[in-house]
Amino acid sequence: MTTFEHCVRCTLCVENCPVFKVNPAFPGPKQAGPDAQRFRLDGERSVDDWVKLCCQCQRCQVACPYGVNVSEIILKAQLKYSREHMSPFAAHLFANTYHLGKLGSLVSPITNAVTSSGAARKIMGVLGLATNLPMPEYRFLSLNRGRRRKGRRRSSRKVVFFHGCYLGFNRPDIGRGIRDLLSGLGCRVVIPGQTCCGLPALGNGDQEIAKKFARKNARMLVEYIDQGYQVVYACTSCGLTLVHDYPEVLELPEGRKIAENTYNVHELILDLLENDAPDVAFGEVDRTVAYHIPCHLKALGIGYPAAGIFEKIPGLKTMILDDNCCGLAGSYGFKKKNQQTAEKLGTIAASAIKALEPEILISDCGACRMQLGHYTGLPALDPSEVIIASLEKGATKKSRRKRRIS
Amino acid sequence: MSAYEYDAVVIGGGVSGIMASLTLASKGFKTALVSRGDPVCCLSTGCIDVFSHSDEPLSGIRALLPDHPYSLVGEKGIVDALSFFSEIMEEAGLPYEGDPGRNRKILTPIGSTKCTCLVPRTMAHADMPSNEYLHVISFQGIKDFFPGYITSRHRNSTYSVYDAGVPTTLGIAARFDDASFLDAFITWLRGLEIPHDRVALPAVLGTIDPASVVEKISRAIGRKVFEIPTLPPSIPGLRLFRALKRVMQNRGIHLYWGKEITSVERQGCTVEAVTLATTGRAKRVQGRAFVLATGSFVSGGLFAGRDSVRETVFDLPVFVPVERRDWFNTDFFSGGHSIERAGVRVDRDFRPVESKIDNLFACGSILAECEIMSLQCGHGLAVATGVAAAKSCAQGLS
Ligand SMILES: Cc1cc2nc3c(=O)[nH]c(=O)nc-3n(C[C@H](O)[C@H](O)[C@H](O)COP(=O)(O)OP(=O)(O)OC[C@H]3O[C@@H](n4cnc5c(N)ncnc54)[C@H](O)[C@@H]3O)c2cc1C
Ligand code: SF4
Ligand code: SF4
Repeated sequence: MTTFEHCVRCTLCVENCPVFKVNPAFPGPKQAGPDAQRFRLDGERSVDDWVKLCCQCQRCQVACPYGVNVSEIILKAQLKYSREHMSPFAAHLFANTYHLGKLGSLVSPITNAVTSSGAARKIMGVLGLATNLPMPEYRFLSLNRGRRRKGRRRSSRKVVFFHGCYLGFNRPDIGRGIRDLLSGLGCRVVIPGQTCCGLPALGNGDQEIAKKFARKNARMLVEYIDQGYQVVYACTSCGLTLVHDYPEVLELPEGRKIAENTYNVHELILDLLENDAPDVAFGEVDRTVAYHIPCHLKALGIGYPAAGIFEKIPGLKTMILDDNCCGLAGSYGFKKKNQQTAEKLGTIAASAIKALEPEILISDCGACRMQLGHYTGLPALDPSEVIIASLEKGATKKSRRKRRIS
Repeated sequence: MSAYEYDAVVIGGGVSGIMASLTLASKGFKTALVSRGDPVCCLSTGCIDVFSHSDEPLSGIRALLPDHPYSLVGEKGIVDALSFFSEIMEEAGLPYEGDPGRNRKILTPIGSTKCTCLVPRTMAHADMPSNEYLHVISFQGIKDFFPGYITSRHRNSTYSVYDAGVPTTLGIAARFDDASFLDAFITWLRGLEIPHDRVALPAVLGTIDPASVVEKISRAIGRKVFEIPTLPPSIPGLRLFRALKRVMQNRGIHLYWGKEITSVERQGCTVEAVTLATTGRAKRVQGRAFVLATGSFVSGGLFAGRDSVRETVFDLPVFVPVERRDWFNTDFFSGGHSIERAGVRVDRDFRPVESKIDNLFACGSILAECEIMSLQCGHGLAVATGVAAAKSCAQGLS
C-alpha cells in the first residue's frame, strides 16, 4: 500500500485538480493530501477547514504515477474534521439523500414544485444550499416500487442490479431501460431492495450514516454473490463506492468480495456482445455526441466501456471528454460555499463540450447530466438510452428483413 | 468475465507509448493503452528536444554509436516520426513548429536559453536576436516566475505585472480560456503602449486554444508575442499530453488509466494478457502483441535496487553499464552519469534481447544507451522509438 510518504512532490496531482484551478482558498491535492498528512495527529483536533473544499473527484489519485492515495488521504481528513466539528444543516440533509429521495418520490409532484418555486429557493439559500443550480427532479414511480425479476429462466448470467438513488428515485425510466436491456441480452436480472450506497453521507462527513447504509447493502449483495450473481451498477459514483470505499474507507469485511464481483453495466454489456450475443443488430443513430466521462468512471480505472459499445453503433460519432469535472460532484455544488466553484467548473466543462459542436451530450452520471445539460443547453442522455435506441432500430430492421425473406 | 482481445496493447502512457499506439491505430490495428498515472510529459516544457547536445540535431545523431536507439531508428525514420507527430498536433489543434535539421533557443524563466527542436506555436518567436528589445509580462503573486531574473540578463528588457485574480499557473490558464478575461487583459496591455519589439509571458495563455490567444494578443498590440515555459505544474506539458490523449480517443484507442500491471500471462514465448490493478477488481487486458513504454527510473519502468536494476513489468534483462559505486559522477550537474545508459536492450526490430518473448517490443526512455539527460533528447527519442517499435509490431501482426 502506497502512502503519503511515497509522494515525490511532482505536482502531477495538482495539475489535475479542478478545485485548485478555480478556488484559491484550496491549497490543492499535494498540500491537502500527502503534505498536510504529516501534521495530522490522531489525538489532535483538526484545524484544516479548507480540506472540505475538495470535491472528491479523485482526479488527483488517478494522475499520481507513484500510486499515492491522495484523495483517500483527503477524504479521511475530511471525515476526521467533521467528527470533531459540528456540520451545518445542509451536510446532514445531503448525508441523507436516500431518505430525502424516498420522501421525494413518494410525493414527487409536490417536491418538484417545492424545489423549483421561488420561495423554496429562498429558503434553501438560508439553509446553505446553492439556489441557482438545477435541483434534481423526483419522479412519481421510483424503481424500487414494482421491482421484480426479469429475464430468461435458464440464462447462465445472473445479475443483481444496484441502481442507486438517482436512478431509483429520479430516473426510474433509465433504470427500467437498463433492466430490460440486460434481460434482452439474456441475463437474469434481479432488482432487490437497496439503500443509498453511502457516498453522499461520506461526502458530507457522516461516516456513521455511510456505514449504516453500506452494511445493509453489503449483506444483501453478498447473499446474491454467494448464489453466483454478478453485481452491476450504472451510476459510476455508486460503483466506485461499492468497489473502493466499502473495503478501503468503511473497511467492511465483505468489501473485498463485493469489489471482486462488481461490474459496470457497460463492461458487462460489452462482454455479452463479445461472447454471448455476438449477432445483436445495432441500428443506425446518425448523431454527433460528446461523451463526458464522469470523474468517478475515470477513477474506477476500467477504461470507458460504453465508448466500446458506441463504436458498434453505425452513424454515431463519439467525442470523448475526460479532462473536466462538471463541478457538481454529487451534493458538493449544491452547498453555498461551493457554489462559485461549481459554477466556474460547470462553465469550463461546458465550453469544452460546446467547442466540439455536438448534438447530444452523454454521461453515465446523473449529476453530470444535470449540471452540463444546464450549462450547455444540450439534451443530456445516459449511455444506455443511446444503446437502447440503436438496438430498437436494429431489431425492427431485422424483423422487417425476416418478413421479406419469408 | 473474459476480456475483449486487442491486436496490440501498449503499456505506459508517456510520449513514446502514445506515439506507438497512434502508429498502430493508423495501420488499422485495434489498440489499447494501459498506464499508471500521468506521464512526465505533463511536467515538461512541452518542447520536443530531439538532440539538444549540438546545434544541428540530425548531424549530432549521425555521430552516435550504433547501439544508441536513435541509430536503430535511422535518420529517415526519425524525420518521418517527427513529421507524423507534427501532423497529429495539427489535428489536435495544438500546432508545433520547427525543423529537425536545426535547433532553436527559447527563453527560460531565469533568463537563460534552452536549446530545443520542435516548439508549440505559442513559442515560435522565443528564439530572439540579442539586439531586439523585450517586454516581459508577469502576473500578480505567480509562483516561480520572477521577471527580474530575465531583465537582469537582458539589457534591453523591462517588465509589467497584471493581476489575474488568481496566483497559480493553472488558475490563470483557465481564465485565459474565457473570452471576456482575454479582452480585459488585451485592453490593459494596449494601455501600456509597449515600445519593445517582443512581448513574453509565462506559459499560461489558456488550455483550449493557446495559439489563437497568442495570435489575438499579438494582433491587438502589433508585437511578436511568445510564451516562456514555467516550472511544474507546467501548462505546455499538460496541453501536449491532453492533446495527444484527445487524438488517441478520437481514433478509437481504448485507454485504461489504472494502476500498475500486477501480472503477466505467458504461454511459451507469447504474452497473452496483462492484468492491471484498478480501484476495485483487477482488469485483464488481452492482446496479440505488446509494446513496453513504461519509461525510466522516474516513471517506474526501471527500478534500482541496491546493486541491480529491474524492469518492473516483464522482469526483462536490464543492461547496467558499471558497478553501483560508479553509477553517478561526483559532480551532479557535470552532465553524464553512467546510470543513464542503463535500460532494456533491443534488436533492430525493437524486440528486447534475450527476453524469450516473441510478441513484445520496447520503446522510449526505458531503452538502454539513450542517455536522455546528457544528450538532451527526451521527447524526440520517445517519438522516434515509439513510432519505430510500433512499425515493427505492426509487421509482426500482419
Ligand atoms: C521533469 C522533467 C522534465 C522534462 N522536460 C523535457 C522537455 O522539456 N523536453 C523534452 O523533450 N524532454 C523532457 N524530459 C524528458 C522526457 O519527458 C522523457 O524522456 C520522455 O517524455 C519519456 O517518455 P516515455 O514515453 O519514454 O516515458 P514516460 O513519459 O516516463 O512514460 C511512462 C509511463 O508508463 C507508466 N508506467 C510505468 N510503470 C508502469 C507499470 N508497471 N504499469 C503501468 N504503467 C506504468 C508511467 O506511469 C508513465 O505514465 C523531461 C523529463 C523530466 C523528468
Ligand atoms: S502526483 Fe503523487 S507523487 Fe506527485 S505530488 Fe501528487 S501525490 Fe505526490
Ligand atoms: S479529489 Fe478532486 S478536488 Fe479533491 S484534491 Fe483530488 S483532484 Fe482536487
